[in-house]
Amino acid sequence: MTEATYWTVLDPFPQQYEDQNRLAPFYTKLRDGTFVTTRCSDCDEVHWPPRSVCPACMSDRLVWEEMPDGGTIYRYTVQVAGVPEGFEPPLVYALVDFDNGIRLFTAIVDCDPDEVEVGAEVKVVVRDVEDDQEGRRRVLPYFQLAD
Amino acid sequence: MSNRFPKEQENDMDGKAPKVAMIAAGVTKWGARQATFRDLASEAGKAAFDSNPNLSPADVDGLVASSVYPERSAYQGKVAPLLAETLGIKPRMYERVENQCGSGTAAIRTAAWAIMAGAADVVAVVGVEKMLLPNRNEVFTNALAGLDRDWEGALGVTPPGAFALVAQAHMDKYGTTEEQLAMVSVKNHAHSMNNPYAHFQKGPDLETVMASRPIASPFKLFDCAPNTDGAAVVVLASADRARDLSDAPVWMLGSGQGFDSYTMANMSRDWSYWPAVEQAGTNAYQAAGLTSADVDVVETHDCFTISEILHYEALGFCEVGGGGEFVAGGGSDYGGKVVVNPRGGLLACGHPIGATGVAQAHEMFVQLRGEAGARQVDDAHVGLSLTMSNIGSEAHCAIWGTDEVAA
Repeated sequence: MTEATYWTVLDPFPQQYEDQNRLAPFYTKLRDGTFVTTRCSDCDEVHWPPRSVCPACMSDRLVWEEMPDGGTIYRYTVQVAGVPEGFEPPLVYALVDFDNGIRLFTAIVDCDPDEVEVGAEVKVVVRDVEDDQEGRRRVLPYFQLAD
Repeated sequence: MSNRFPKEQENDMDGKAPKVAMIAAGVTKWGARQATFRDLASEAGKAAFDSNPNLSPADVDGLVASSVYPERSAYQGKVAPLLAETLGIKPRMYERVENQCGSGTAAIRTAAWAIMAGAADVVAVVGVEKMLLPNRNEVFTNALAGLDRDWEGALGVTPPGAFALVAQAHMDKYGTTEEQLAMVSVKNHAHSMNNPYAHFQKGPDLETVMASRPIASPFKLFDCAPNTDGAAVVVLASADRARDLSDAPVWMLGSGQGFDSYTMANMSRDWSYWPAVEQAGTNAYQAAGLTSADVDVVETHDCFTISEILHYEALGFCEVGGGGEFVAGGGSDYGGKVVVNPRGGLLACGHPIGATGVAQAHEMFVQLRGEAGARQVDDAHVGLSLTMSNIGSEAHCAIWGTDEVAA
């Protein structure tokens, strides 16, 4: 995707750098392989997704904190049709629970869909997606079945 | 029903005469339409005005538009004034309401508030959505716009993959079966055989639904509402204007809204139940001074088969966990406890997302006036319509009644 043809409305991926996004440190850390979220320094609330202002107390004194190494699958589905342009089915989508109280919605990658099950342990994996309009690397967190 | 939600005082009809009534309603043929956004609005508007010979556009002084992504699918913004001009209305209040798939019911609530506040006396609610584009892949890309873009939509998830997780949770917790899901589809498609405006009038049997191609486990094709173009218009009026302009107004007895979360990550932990739907229903029942036992006909948001099963439970038509058995036993069909989705639901009519809630209100209009023809629910006096947004974590409900109930 070159700059001349870049259209925000056609880009499914988030902006990930300081010139566009106050949560850029999330992506900076993720590019280095570290999966984090925000914790409020005032009320101790842990957030997902990460925040720039705490929704519990409106504090803007937030710190980045590493997510637990792994989580467990609450429920999952295997989607084989009805996916947007640029995504290749089958896609395994899941809700994953972490022991810090966070649940997140994610995709389980690199797996045989038949091997996925409720309660399975998963670990984060960082995957490159399309570069941004400036040609800069972009990444997203996905999950794999833990060994 | 629980009483854990605060009563909506400003919308309270309990023991009082209702303040707002529906006096006209119309829908287009829904389907893969060879028509523009404006064509669809024109067709639905004509149908609505044709439904009431006493009413002309000059009588209408307010307009609320319900349309979710005309900027994407028609490259058209600012659609409330566009729709006013299209329908020959010169409103003194006009605005657009957008709450993704639940927009239509939210727009109806907004129109009712405008009337109660005195901002307008006769308000057209215009729901229009152009879904199908020359490049059909755009349908799925557009679907991402209603989900959290940065954290969830970026993964490519579309509604089937998300709602499938609800089905998985309900099946695991309560033993709900794929056959029971399929029965919702069979029922609603059978209903659509009596609705010439439905996208599909195919009436597939259980075997056909069960054998349809997989989409997202456990969903198969017939567990999912199709992508569809369509529009619907209803006209609401103050009590005085309703009596002037209609011999058989359909009264808005109460309404309610519920909110659980925006992101899937922050939905209530048990994905087998929808507290936002319960909250919307409870608020509407309390405002109307009624309970689920009073309801004769329901239009609900069966975007997927599992959705209707969760609605039975959260709206109080069966025990929590009993939704699969409720549909299997005929509880939600003609002759059962309550008739759910007589027009064929989203499963057979399709889901032009901004128009759906308005089309549900149209069904309330014809059912409660005894004008529904072959799909008429016997002795229908009270109806409930409900649309949702996100994965059931946002909900919008209205309760309607005949003159007899409102008196």
